[in-house]
Amino acid sequence: MNGHVKRMSFQQFMELTTTLLSLLLVMAVDSTRTVAASSSQECGNSLQQTLKLTRLAQKESVLLIKTYKAAQGEMSELFCKVSVNNVPDPNISGLEPSERIASIYTHLQSFMAHFKRVYEQQTDLQLPTSPLLGELTVVSARSRGLANLINSFYQSLFPNLPMPEPAGGPTMLPPPQNVFQQKVYGCAVLKNYKEFLSNVSRELRTLKGKVCRRRIESNTFLLRMT
Amino acid sequence: MPQLSVSPSSKSNCCPLWLIWVLLGLSAVHTHAKDVLSVPQQVSLSPNRFARQLSISWLGGAATTFDLMILRTELNESAFYETLSVNPVSGQHLWNWTSAEPLECTSLSIKVRSRDGLMTSEWSNTQILQGNDLPSNDKFQVYPLDTIVPVGANTTFCCIVEEGKVFGDLLYSGAVMNTTRLSRRTYASTMVNQGPSVSSGTNVICYDSLRAIAGAVVFVGYPPLLSDFVCETHDLTSAVCHWTEARDTHIYGKRGVRYSLNKRDCPRGKQQQKHKVCTVDHWEGNWTLVAVNFLGQYSLNDSAEILNRVHPVAPTKVSSVVDAWNATVLWQWKYRSYSSLGLVCQVELTCHGSKTNLTVSGVGLQSVVLSDLYPDEDYSVQVRCGAQLNFWKWGNWSEAFTFKTNTYVPEAPDVWIWMNGDNTGQIVWKPLTRRQSHGQITGYEFTLWSAEENVQHTQIFSPGATAAPINFTQIAAFSSDKIIATIMAKNVKGSSQPASVVVPLRLTEPLALSRAVYTESGFPLTWQSDANATGGYVVEWIDAVCTRDCSVEWIKVAAGHTNVSVVSANFQPGVRYIFSLYGCSSEGRELLQRQQGYVQELVPSSSVLLSTSQQNSDVLLSWGEIPLLNRRGFLLGYNVYNSTGSELKLLVNLPDKENRSYTVKGLSEGSHKFTVKAYTSAGEDTGATGSITLELYADWLILEILTSLGITTLFLVIVTFICYKKRKWVKKAFYPDIPEPKLPGDWSRRQGPLDVKPSSHSIMHIVEKPDWDSSKEALVVIPEEDEEEEGQGIGDEPVDTDEPTSLRYYNQVVDERPIRPRYPDSSDSSASSLDSARTDVTYTGIQTSGSSLVFQLDSQGSAEGHQPHTDMSVSGGGGGGGGGDYRPQMQARAPNDDIDLVSSEPFIEAASGGGYKPQSSWHLDSPVEGEENGGRAPSLGSPTSVASTQFLLPDGEEHTEERRQPSSSATTWFTNLLSSTKP
Repeated sequence: MNGHVKRMSFQQFMELTTTLLSLLLVMAVDSTRTVAASSSQECGNSLQQTLKLTRLAQKESVLLIKTYKAAQGEMSELFCKVSVNNVPDPNISGLEPSERIASIYTHLQSFMAHFKRVYEQQTDLQLPTSPLLGELTVVSARSRGLANLINSFYQSLFPNLPMPEPAGGPTMLPPPQNVFQQKVYGCAVLKNYKEFLSNVSRELRTLKGKVCRRRIESNTFLLRMT
Repeated sequence: MPQLSVSPSSKSNCCPLWLIWVLLGLSAVHTHAKDVLSVPQQVSLSPNRFARQLSISWLGGAATTFDLMILRTELNESAFYETLSVNPVSGQHLWNWTSAEPLECTSLSIKVRSRDGLMTSEWSNTQILQGNDLPSNDKFQVYPLDTIVPVGANTTFCCIVEEGKVFGDLLYSGAVMNTTRLSRRTYASTMVNQGPSVSSGTNVICYDSLRAIAGAVVFVGYPPLLSDFVCETHDLTSAVCHWTEARDTHIYGKRGVRYSLNKRDCPRGKQQQKHKVCTVDHWEGNWTLVAVNFLGQYSLNDSAEILNRVHPVAPTKVSSVVDAWNATVLWQWKYRSYSSLGLVCQVELTCHGSKTNLTVSGVGLQSVVLSDLYPDEDYSVQVRCGAQLNFWKWGNWSEAFTFKTNTYVPEAPDVWIWMNGDNTGQIVWKPLTRRQSHGQITGYEFTLWSAEENVQHTQIFSPGATAAPINFTQIAAFSSDKIIATIMAKNVKGSSQPASVVVPLRLTEPLALSRAVYTESGFPLTWQSDANATGGYVVEWIDAVCTRDCSVEWIKVAAGHTNVSVVSANFQPGVRYIFSLYGCSSEGRELLQRQQGYVQELVPSSSVLLSTSQQNSDVLLSWGEIPLLNRRGFLLGYNVYNSTGSELKLLVNLPDKENRSYTVKGLSEGSHKFTVKAYTSAGEDTGATGSITLELYADWLILEILTSLGITTLFLVIVTFICYKKRKWVKKAFYPDIPEPKLPGDWSRRQGPLDVKPSSHSIMHIVEKPDWDSSKEALVVIPEEDEEEEGQGIGDEPVDTDEPTSLRYYNQVVDERPIRPRYPDSSDSSASSLDSARTDVTYTGIQTSGSSLVFQLDSQGSAEGHQPHTDMSVSGGGGGGGGGDYRPQMQARAPNDDIDLVSSEPFIEAASGGGYKPQSSWHLDSPVEGEENGGRAPSLGSPTSVASTQFLLPDGEEHTEERRQPSSSATTWFTNLLSSTKP
């Protein structure tokens, strides 16, 4: 009798435990789904914000090129077509999203260094009241802000992957140039930057459907594993 | 030269020896010459590519003259070849050559030789200055790079095309230049008279055939030019030097102008500012400013004692200590050295935009007392100072400092009294201005009091009040004859002095109004001095429209003055103002003068109220007076216009404004419009228009008609009376008795059968008229039935009867009835007369021919549509022309208008019957007519069987029968009238 009672009690205890565990499992799954959904939303928001800033920077770069050409004197349209070495490549490199995002970041860093050089060169050629200097400052600051956003986005997507250093080491700036070379160089930097931003926009749109969705899928996968 | 010695003993060998000697001599000379003009050695080149200069040095021995040749290496073209005189320095000869083209354009070959007169040495070894067009340097290049040239300079640019490429164009600031070839790859062009470039320089671009480009930038500008260089001190220690760039150099940045003051570099300021500043820590007394750029330099000097160049800084930390009527403004100096400096300071005091300047001076001045301020007023103050001794210039203004003075008791209000005409009035006072109130007004204390009784009534009014109503009921509480009203303004600081006015206990009689004329300075009012006006005068004015509790304005004039010009911001054009001048004394006021006037007269704002009325054939225009408010000027009169048409036509100008009616005469019937416009000196108003429709004046017409009718009636009465009185004469004259028919001759001469078969008892009365006048119609047809009705009473008898018909002749027609259609009756009677045995025939006149009667009947009958009967009658008559048949029916029809033949049978029957024709004997009386009328003539004069009321007229009057018919009717009526008068 007692044994039967004990058995019955144990059986009831096991049932109760199973029920509680099931309930806990359901709650855990549900909360994980919520986290996954919120992570996906966060990814999209971050990407959308980066995309908006990229578009803004792109518009500003278009205006800056116009101002730049106007400030370089006659025939600036001609020498702005000249291709120049030692100017960052507008193309984004890498195969994996992490690599491509890192490439965007390193490109922005590189462009910022070139902006600084162009600003210095143009300070010697323009009057202090020239709008070119102001716009250069704005675009340079925008580039810095965009780089920060990209970095944050990268960190949020790949928290365990440190941002790789530029492959070629520190940014290589051109050697001392004559004034004509400076003019050509500055124009090439701005043109490449504009094209680079266009590529970034395209890349971010691609990433939006690729990275954020993958993140959801990976979260779901993790849940299944759990 | 021992070999040159020659032996004289050997004569035979003399000539060859001499020749040898000469040759040896010449050889020696030549050898010597070669020793003097040595070839320049160690030729070296030192290029300054920025300046396009090439320094050539060599060792040339003792020679001082050299030939220098510079060739463009590739094309072996001479770039320079000259003979130079160069003095050696330490045995080294040096020559600087400035190339027209940049030294990089192409390689140059340089060689030197010594010259002595015409003798020259050998050329030195050729030294080559390598250009950048060497095959080893295959880049596409343009030179010079980043060069700086003055405005107006000529600069040669060269383009070195890439190895293996073909030259295209060389452009300067977008313009293609003409080029010359310097080498295999180098092309050059010179730009002359260059203009100033922009801040980034002027671009020079070279194309190759594949449109690849290379370029350079040239900066074209001016050397520095300065002005207004002066140094001064702020702190009595250091120097601050200022100058102005008199010309823009067009070269900026690191290529811009550099300044140095007493050989110490000045920091670069803002490049675009023309006004430059450079500071030196210590006052040196003498300063030299040097401005340098790549194109030149410019220097200026200045020298001065420090105390002559003191430019104080702006005072700082300005503060104030204020009172109601004054304030003390304090400030501090940035430098302690000012404490011993004699200063002169300007204080600018601003109050409500009004500025007042005050100048004070003193050593180390740090405060100023501002007096004559107003209480409770906001002020703003700024201070600047300069050196009192050897004043150089004012320092900068301090920051504006604001303060507010303290409050104070208000000023006494300006009080006056306005009395209505009904023993009421109000004490009015002008609201205190900000300057008068000395603080926020908290209220007004109004008091009525009697000095004699020392009784007073006090009342408090709010700050916004400007009037206190009074009435004599209130004043009646005082038994004194002199009541004084006082008003006191109050603020936080206390009450003002009381302002008083004596209340007039009796209303003053208004004086006549004279005209006041407004001028630019207002309404000038003048008056005779009044000895009683010990308290001065008051001129008050109101809007003339106002009658009660008016918004009165006034101005007080001190005693002794006899004129004032009244000006008010409230004056408005078109408003009539009444000015009253009062003389004031301690006993009250006395009205001295009244005037009225306008600031500007306008046209009346409303029109008169016009009414129109017809008076006989005239129109009376009357209108009312324009209200005073709407006159807006002194009315000068009225203009009356006829506005019936499209334009106003002035009828009359009525200069008398009291005349407000006008009668327009001579108007025709119909609609008329009139416009009346009142006018002032400014013009007419819009006008009031009234319209009226003139109708025919009927009274006179009716009177005329009645008069005419009366006269006619009277005339008829008189005629009637005369006719009545003379009726016998009339009867005799117009209606003589028809004479008894005469029967001359033989009755047996009958022309036709007499078929009349009257009964044996037929009666015929024939009245003979001896003097028959054809113009007098005496025969009137009396309808038979009338006769029967009146005389015989046989109307009901059958027509066709065997009883003989009585034929009677009446000399007078007795029928009193008016003529009326009775044809049927006569027809009937006539018809009946044919068959009756008793036929009454009355001849009251001479019967015209039957045809005439028939014709008349015919005409009537055609109108009535009885042509067939008529035709039958005519044919009957015609057919019986030879017969002379008796046809009384036809006679009976003639005078009737309404012809309605009962039947044609009686005529036919009568015609066929022929019958009695007693007229046949009359044929002789009018033979012509008888012929003309044919067979109808015999019917004339037949005294029988014809009932006719017409005269029997000759045939000659047949055609006038129709015209005579009305007169015949009138005659018939008249005959009846006369007949009725028969006894």
